Amino acid sequence: MRSAPGIVLLLLAVAAPDAGAEAPATKPPPAVNACIDCHVALDDPRISPPAKLFADDVHAKAGFTCVFCHGGDARQEDQEKAHDPAKGFLGKPRPQQIPELCGKCHSDPALMKQYDPSERVDQLSEYRSSGHGKALAKGDTTVAECASCHGAHGIQPIKDSRSPVSPTKIAQTCNRCHGDAKLMTAHGLPSDVYEKWSRSVHYAARVGKGDLSAPTCNSCHGNHGAAPPQVDSVANVCGTCHVTFADQFKLSPHWEPFKELGLPGCVACHENHEIVKPSEAFLAAGDESKCSSCHEEGSAGARAAAAMHADLVGLDGEIRNATRLVDRAEEAGMEISRARFDLVAATNALTRARSEVHLFRASAVHDAVAEGRTVAQKAASGGEARLKERDFRRRGLFVSLGLIVLSMAALIVWIRDRDRSMRESGE
Amino acid sequence: MTHGGESRLRAWARDRLGWDDLARMAAKKRVPVHRYTIFYYLGGMALFLFLVQTATGILLLLYYRPSAAEAFESVQYVMAEVPFGWLIRSIHSWGANLFVGVVFAHMISVLFLRAYRAPREMTWVTGVVLCFLALGFGFSGYLLPWNTLAFFATKVGTDVPAQIPGVGHLLSRILRGGSDVSGATLSRFYGIHVAILPAVTTLLLGAHLLLVQRHGMSVPRSVEGRNRRTIPFVPDFLMRDMVGWLAAVGLLAALAAFFPWELGVKADPFAPAPAGIRPEWYFLWMFQGLKYLPSRIAGIPGETLGVLFFGVLAVALVAVPWLDRRGRRGVAVAAVLVLALAAVLTVLALLPVSASRS
Repeated sequence: MRSAPGIVLLLLAVAAPDAGAEAPATKPPPAVNACIDCHVALDDPRISPPAKLFADDVHAKAGFTCVFCHGGDARQEDQEKAHDPAKGFLGKPRPQQIPELCGKCHSDPALMKQYDPSERVDQLSEYRSSGHGKALAKGDTTVAECASCHGAHGIQPIKDSRSPVSPTKIAQTCNRCHGDAKLMTAHGLPSDVYEKWSRSVHYAARVGKGDLSAPTCNSCHGNHGAAPPQVDSVANVCGTCHVTFADQFKLSPHWEPFKELGLPGCVACHENHEIVKPSEAFLAAGDESKCSSCHEEGSAGARAAAAMHADLVGLDGEIRNATRLVDRAEEAGMEISRARFDLVAATNALTRARSEVHLFRASAVHDAVAEGRTVAQKAASGGEARLKERDFRRRGLFVSLGLIVLSMAALIVWIRDRDRSMRESGE
Repeated sequence: MTHGGESRLRAWARDRLGWDDLARMAAKKRVPVHRYTIFYYLGGMALFLFLVQTATGILLLLYYRPSAAEAFESVQYVMAEVPFGWLIRSIHSWGANLFVGVVFAHMISVLFLRAYRAPREMTWVTGVVLCFLALGFGFSGYLLPWNTLAFFATKVGTDVPAQIPGVGHLLSRILRGGSDVSGATLSRFYGIHVAILPAVTTLLLGAHLLLVQRHGMSVPRSVEGRNRRTIPFVPDFLMRDMVGWLAAVGLLAALAAFFPWELGVKADPFAPAPAGIRPEWYFLWMFQGLKYLPSRIAGIPGETLGVLFFGVLAVALVAVPWLDRRGRRGVAVAAVLVLALAAVLTVLALLPVSASRS
């Protein structure tokens, strides 16, 4: 999922130096930029740091200068002339102005193509559809606009790890606001989403294993159009990655009732941010049970869940047993490649059976489990056969060693006798 | 079945094979007994292990398929399906290591007992070349199961001759059958392992044994001239030899039963080299030595100098009988130094990666 490589990426491309912030621009202006010369030299901490940061900004590298966003005349060394409102001087843009300001370039396909032919130009319309955009349009300036996430003066491309919206930093960037309890309470939102996500399988894959295909905030919520998925679209959102589960769920007897009851699809069992590793215990009665929250004990649904649970636990146990046998045979140096192959097939069958749970039909799970049991038993008997073979080899060795030692002893006795007789005969 | 007190079979053999001459020769051969006699057994042990390798090698040939597509699977089949295939392959693999070890021990004992002295120079030369051939057997056989470790170790090993100035790259290409280790290398190594090396070894071994017969056993200077006891080679010494051979068979069987030779993972030429690739233990010291050399020494690539050094060492080893005449003490000191260096480098190579780095 791409995030805006700067809604502010070319924050500024639309105005010629003299035209101010309102006029469109198609090409970078002349290199003269008196703004930087003055602002860098000033001691004011509000003025000097942005000017210094801009030197490393992606826009500066593309030839854009301050006036593309701020208006004014970059060729004037005199402050009044440079900040002339007649030349479109804007000063520091207000939050409400920023999306439109960035969008002037970033929504212009002709202009953007000059810098990156594959760059998207829908960020502004996406933003307007987002929770942030709608709130900003109503005058709420505490919500995120372009600069909140991308920065204002040291903007880097999203692939650059220094960018706050680079793939490895985006969650922390969202958490700057969404982890702020005071701010979130004001918006009626929870502030523990990052904390919950950090306990999820997605976090473990992305941060623990460095797998950037695992989802972070924008994978499910979108980036410029960020909004929580609605109840009826949750399965679609999860289904973008978990295609099979989503397809199975739509074919299951749960699909229609969930829609009627307004239950949030996948989230009903798996949570949204704190998505932990699912286990067979989800199906059993007990603290971790998901089924029992809707299906009463003894009901058809509870019986089906119990049957699926028993099947899956049974196959898992058989695979563990077979693995133990094969491991022991391998430790003894036995050739176990065929048994390992069967173990992989059994594990694949277990994975398929777990996936079939999303059909919520005990027979579908049972069929997949039966297939897995056959190969798991084959693997186990392969392991057992190898262990018996190991014992046979060792027994054979002891018999052979016995014969060898006897032969050696006989030879030694013969040699001693011979030596004695040779000494006696004086040879 | 007797004919005038002599079995018919014996009479037949006497008339056609000259049995009596052989029996007379065997009866005449005697082995000196002194405090170093134990070292005489090493030659017989090496010969016995060579015969074990030949016998197990021939049995493996019945199932082995020398191609990149089938080699690994055929060895896997031998280990898993062929009755006692695991035993034959494990004995062949363990036996190869034991054989090289015994050959080393035999050569080192001959070196320090100075048994290469005139008129046994050519016995020494054939022996040293046989030792090199044993290493060739080890190197070529290592690749044949076509597993990852062997594949990458052969890549490193066949890179070594490329360091020889002038002909190095050509030599490396000839060894590999191309610019890189591939199925062509496997076919080539197979040919070398089962045809070329056995033929050359048989000839040289014949010459070596003939020379041993011709000159008899050498007696070290320190025990020379005393009133020496001797024992007949047949049957006294041979029976003692057999005690050792039986012990070797027992050891090989125990190793095969308790530590069957691993097969590893099939070689994938497109996979990155795994960590911890290293050659067989008898090449480790050279492998480690080359790693420690700086990239350039006096403008010459370090590895080139290293390979040239090994070449000089090999020539010097062959020339020991003649070098000994110039400086007997020098040969002994040089031998001790080289052996100590090889031992230290081998230990360093065997240390875990983190330990050797620190």
